Amino acid sequence: MTQRFNVQPLQPHISVLSEEGVKAIHKATLEILEETGVEMQDPQGRELLLEAGARESDGRLKIPEKLVDEALSSAPSLIPIYDRLGNLAMPLELGNVFFGSGSDTNFTFDLMTGERRRTTTQDVENLARLCDGLDNIDFVMSMGNPSDVPPDDLYVHAFIRMIRGSVKPNVYVTKDRKDMEDIYRIAVAVAGGEDALREKPFFLHYAEPISPLLIPEESLQKIIFCAEKGIPACYPPSPNTGGGGPISLAGAVALGNAECLVGLIMSQLTRRGTPFLYGMNTAAMDMKTAIVSYGSPEWSLGMAAWTDLARFYNLPSWGFGGASDSKLVDAQAGLEATFSIMSAFLSRCTLVHDVGYLEFGSTSSAEMLVIADEIIRMTRFLVNGIAINDKTLALDAIARVRPGGGFLADNHTLENWKWAQWTPKVIDRKLYHSWVEAGSKDMFVRANDVAREVLEKHELLPLQGEVEAVIADVLAERADAHQ
Amino acid sequence: MSGVLEQIAGVLYEGDDESVCTLVQKALNEGIKPGQVLRNGLLAGMDQVGVDFRAGDLFVPEVLISARAMHAGMDILRPLLSQSDLASSNKIVIGTVQGDLHDIGKNLVGMMLEGGGFEVIDIGIDLPPEKFVDAIKTEHPDIVGMSAMLTTTMQNMKHTIDALENAGVREEVRVIVGGAPVTKEYADEIGADGYAPDAGSAVELARSLVKQKDG
Repeated sequence: MTQRFNVQPLQPHISVLSEEGVKAIHKATLEILEETGVEMQDPQGRELLLEAGARESDGRLKIPEKLVDEALSSAPSLIPIYDRLGNLAMPLELGNVFFGSGSDTNFTFDLMTGERRRTTTQDVENLARLCDGLDNIDFVMSMGNPSDVPPDDLYVHAFIRMIRGSVKPNVYVTKDRKDMEDIYRIAVAVAGGEDALREKPFFLHYAEPISPLLIPEESLQKIIFCAEKGIPACYPPSPNTGGGGPISLAGAVALGNAECLVGLIMSQLTRRGTPFLYGMNTAAMDMKTAIVSYGSPEWSLGMAAWTDLARFYNLPSWGFGGASDSKLVDAQAGLEATFSIMSAFLSRCTLVHDVGYLEFGSTSSAEMLVIADEIIRMTRFLVNGIAINDKTLALDAIARVRPGGGFLADNHTLENWKWAQWTPKVIDRKLYHSWVEAGSKDMFVRANDVAREVLEKHELLPLQGEVEAVIADVLAERADAHQ
Repeated sequence: MSGVLEQIAGVLYEGDDESVCTLVQKALNEGIKPGQVLRNGLLAGMDQVGVDFRAGDLFVPEVLISARAMHAGMDILRPLLSQSDLASSNKIVIGTVQGDLHDIGKNLVGMMLEGGGFEVIDIGIDLPPEKFVDAIKTEHPDIVGMSAMLTTTMQNMKHTIDALENAGVREEVRVIVGGAPVTKEYADEIGADGYAPDAGSAVELARSLVKQKDG
C-alpha cells in the first residue's frame, strides 16, 4: 500500500555559534598558538614541534597555522570503538551521541548504607557492572580512585575492575608511562594481540594539559604513547572560566581550543591518522567557593560551542553531562543532570562523560547513574522527533472513534502504544494510593532499588583465564617494585 | 483435560485472540462443558491479568488486548452457555452523571469489569438521575457505578443516590462511585457502598460487593 504521507522526523539539534562566530574563534585560536605560544615541557614533544616548523621564543613554542591544518587533515573523522568482546559499540563521529560515567572521584555513596565514604576497588567494579546493565550508558569510567590499594597503583586497579565489571568500552586514566604500559599489556591480552587491539580498540585514553598554556611532560608522553600504539586518545584542557581560562566563555573556548589542538598536532606528528577525540572543559569556577562547577550553564553552553567547532573541523567531540554540584541526589542534582544531558544531546556532542557525578566530581553515585539513564532515554525520545506518515497520523482511527469516546481501546492504540509512547522506569506516575502502598518512595529510593536489582541480577561474560593470568603478573610485578 | 483450559488462560494472558478461539473450540471438542471453559479458561486468564495489572506489571493496552481476546472466545461460547451459566454472571450498570460529558475513564472501568467477568451495561454520559432509576428497573443489576470527572458535576452523584431512594430502588443495588475528584470520604458522605481510586481496583471492589450480597 502506498503511503499518502511520509515525512521523516526533523531531529532537533542546537548550534550556539554562527559560522562567523566559529571562524572568529578559530582565528583567535591561531593567534594564541602562533603569537602567544605554549610552554612545552616534554623534550620529545619540543623536538617534534621544532622539526615540523614551530619556532621557539621567550621559552614558548609558537605554532604556525600550517601545523594546525595538517593535523586537522590527517586526523580521522570517525573513531570506531568496540566493546571488549570485539563488537562495534561506539562509532565516534559527528551526529552520534554516547553517554558514560566519569573517573577520579575520591568518594562514593554506599549503595547499602547511604554513607559517603572513600571509594574502593570493589566500588569501581560494582559501578562498572551497573553501567553495563543500564541500556543508555554506553561506556564506563572508573567512578572512583580506589583507596584500598597503593596510590601509585590505583589507575591500574581501576582499569582492571572496569573490564571485570563491564564488557562496554571504557575511558581510562593513567598516572604515568608505567601505567600506560601495564594497562596496554592487559588490553592486548583482552583483544588477543597487538594488531587486534589496534584494529578494534575497546578503550580510549584520557589525558589533559594544564590550562592555561602548559603542556606537562608526563601528559604529553601519554599522547605520544597512544599514537605509537594506535590507542584512541583525548586531550581535553580545562580552561574553566575565571580559573584555568578567562572569565568569559569566548576566550575560554579559544584558549581551550588552542591547547586541545596542540594535543591533536602532537598525536598526528607522532603518527598521522591517529584517532584523536577533540574537546575541552569550560566549566565555571564558582566565584564564591572557587570550586569548578559541574552543573553550571557555562559548562553546557561552552560544550555546545566547542561541538560547533568540532563540526567545523569535522572531528567527533568530547563532552560532559549528567553531573551535579549537589552533595546528594536531590532536586538540584536532577535539575543539573537534566540540563547538561539535554544540552549535550541537542548539541550532538559525541562522547559525553561524567554521568553520575555529585559534588562537582568528588563523589560518585549509583542512584545518580540510574536517574541519568532515565534522563538520557527521555531526551532521546525528544531528539528522535516526530515521524509523520499514515500510521502515525492515524486518520483511520480518528474517523472511526466516537466523539468523546476516546482511543484507549481502539486497535490503533493497542497496536502502536509500545513505540508511540515513552514509558518511564524510575519516574513515578502512580496514583497517590498506589504510591503510598508501594512504600511512598521518592526518586532517590526508587533509583537505589533499581541499582541494587541490576547489581544483583545483571550478568556479563567474565574475563578469560589468560587475561586474568596477565593481570596477576602485572600486579605481582608492581607489588615487587614496591618492596 | 485441565491442560487445554490452562492453555486458554495462558494465550488469553498473552492477548492472542486467534489461539484463544482455536483452543476454546478444542476444549469444546474434548467435551469440556462451556461453563467450565468460561470459568477455568477465559476468566482464569483474565483474573491473572487483573492481578498483574493491579501489581503494576501490566499496562492498560495489554489488559485491553487480553480483554479483546476474551471477547473473541466469548463469541464462540455465548450461544452454548446454559441459563444457569449466564445467570451466574453478575451485572453492573455504569454511567457518567448529569452535566458531565467525560467518557474515557468510565469506558476503561467498563472494560476492566468485563474482563473481570461482569456483564456490563454502559448507559452513557450526562445522565439525569432518572436514567439510573430506569436502568435499575429494566436491567436489575447487582451494582450501579457512577462516574464524574469534574468537581462541579460530582455533586450529581449525591442527587442520583437521592433519586434512587425516592424511587424506592436504592436497596436493590450496591452503588459505587469513582472519578478524578472523588474520594473515599466523599463516597461515604453521600451514602455510596463503595469507592475505587482506579479501574483495576474497581474490579476488586465490585467483586467484594457481590460476594457480600451473595453471602
